[in-house]
Amino acid sequence: MKLFKLLGNKRLFVILIALVMFIALMGFTLGPRASLSLPEKFLRDTVGFVQNIIYKPAGYVAGLFKDIGNMREIYKENERLKIALAQYTREKANYNFIEKQNKELMEDLHFTEQQKNKFNYSYHIAQVISVNADPVNKTLVIDLGERDGVKVGQSVISIKGMVGVISHVSNFTSTVKLITAMDAKDPNSNGIAVTSMNNHKTFGVVESYDETSNTLLMTQIKQDDPIKRGDMIVSLGDTDKYPRGLIIGKVLNVQESKFGKTKTATIEPEAEFQDWKQLFVVFTPEAPK
Amino acid sequence: MNVRKQVLLLLLFLLFILEGALIPWILPGSWQSILAPNLVFIVLLFVSIYHNRHTALVLGIIFGMLHDVVFYGDMIGTYSLVMGFSTYIMGFIFRVRRAPMPVMMTVVILGSLLFDSMLYAIYRLFSLTQVTYDWNLLHHILPDLVLHFVFGLIIYVPLRKQLEKIARREKKEKAA
Repeated sequence: MKLFKLLGNKRLFVILIALVMFIALMGFTLGPRASLSLPEKFLRDTVGFVQNIIYKPAGYVAGLFKDIGNMREIYKENERLKIALAQYTREKANYNFIEKQNKELMEDLHFTEQQKNKFNYSYHIAQVISVNADPVNKTLVIDLGERDGVKVGQSVISIKGMVGVISHVSNFTSTVKLITAMDAKDPNSNGIAVTSMNNHKTFGVVESYDETSNTLLMTQIKQDDPIKRGDMIVSLGDTDKYPRGLIIGKVLNVQESKFGKTKTATIEPEAEFQDWKQLFVVFTPEAPK
Repeated sequence: MNVRKQVLLLLLFLLFILEGALIPWILPGSWQSILAPNLVFIVLLFVSIYHNRHTALVLGIIFGMLHDVVFYGDMIGTYSLVMGFSTYIMGFIFRVRRAPMPVMMTVVILGSLLFDSMLYAIYRLFSLTQVTYDWNLLHHILPDLVLHFVFGLIIYVPLRKQLEKIARREKKEKAA
């Protein structure tokens, strides 16, 4: 009898129904979706337009104060950059020779057009227009969208290193899901196959981020792997998911994995996840169908 | 229609925009990964106490949905559910006529705790986060609570005045 009384309470009934519907909605939207519906796109583009107006000027004003604060720092940085630039010019000459030779070899070996262009990435600059600070669902909104050819799954980098992956696209804006939200159990995130910048014998998979220590975890490293502390880790790009050579971070330390067969490494991300301004979306060459 | 109401709604939308576009610039770099202020939610708590908890429920669902769609990372519906539910519950528990300041601040504190805890519970339910509740409490919920409390103190006087004016106007219209 008590149960019927409980069901007779209309308010409780409505709350329960609403709860079930919300859980269903979350479950439905959690998995991968082909594209967003029209109302969602419209809402995102409208809000994105307003955000665009506010974010940039606010950034300029905030940046002005910060720049005055580290005038001395900038002087030192300039010095460092000059040295780095000199080194780049030296290496550029060498690079040109190697690139030319590489092209000739490709011709000789009859590479197809697709194979030749496989690593011919283009980088499109994007302006961040809004930041979601939620610790689990960390996302950014950028001002490139479907109109500019952005697609779900493309990698996004800052000048320092890899930042995240495009998670949803509307006409004029798209959402970037940061790699700090990476999780092995998340159905939407894929592990990144990585190697070391200077020693390509290293292999591992970066698939989760530890929030308590602010580091990425690299797993599946073989016992005889030459990986060591301080190595720069870059993406390997042997699948279609991630391009080659995106900088992930530096190895902090290497330890035995829980099960003993392999090693794991903790990696300090190279990109800074704060003060967002410009980012780059990495466009990979179109694969013929 | 009441012009004041529409202006307040517009300001609420502006606050939502500022939350994503201006707050990250004001906070120092190291705080940006800790604090996730939800200022719209605090305003809605005021609406729930001083105006009407059903209005707050509807506004909570609408603005939560806005947040979900604009910052769509994993799933839609978390903020909508949490904002609607916690504003309504807070208004339901504290049914005080002309609530004084200490009561309102208690609502802000409890509401903020409820909001962040529910958010954590949902993420945990869908196993999107692996951190423990204790860690989350220390590193996200309590810092957020302090910020929400300060924001609540700042908007207390002007917002309460406006909301009571709206309530008085509605009463008059009903009587007429």
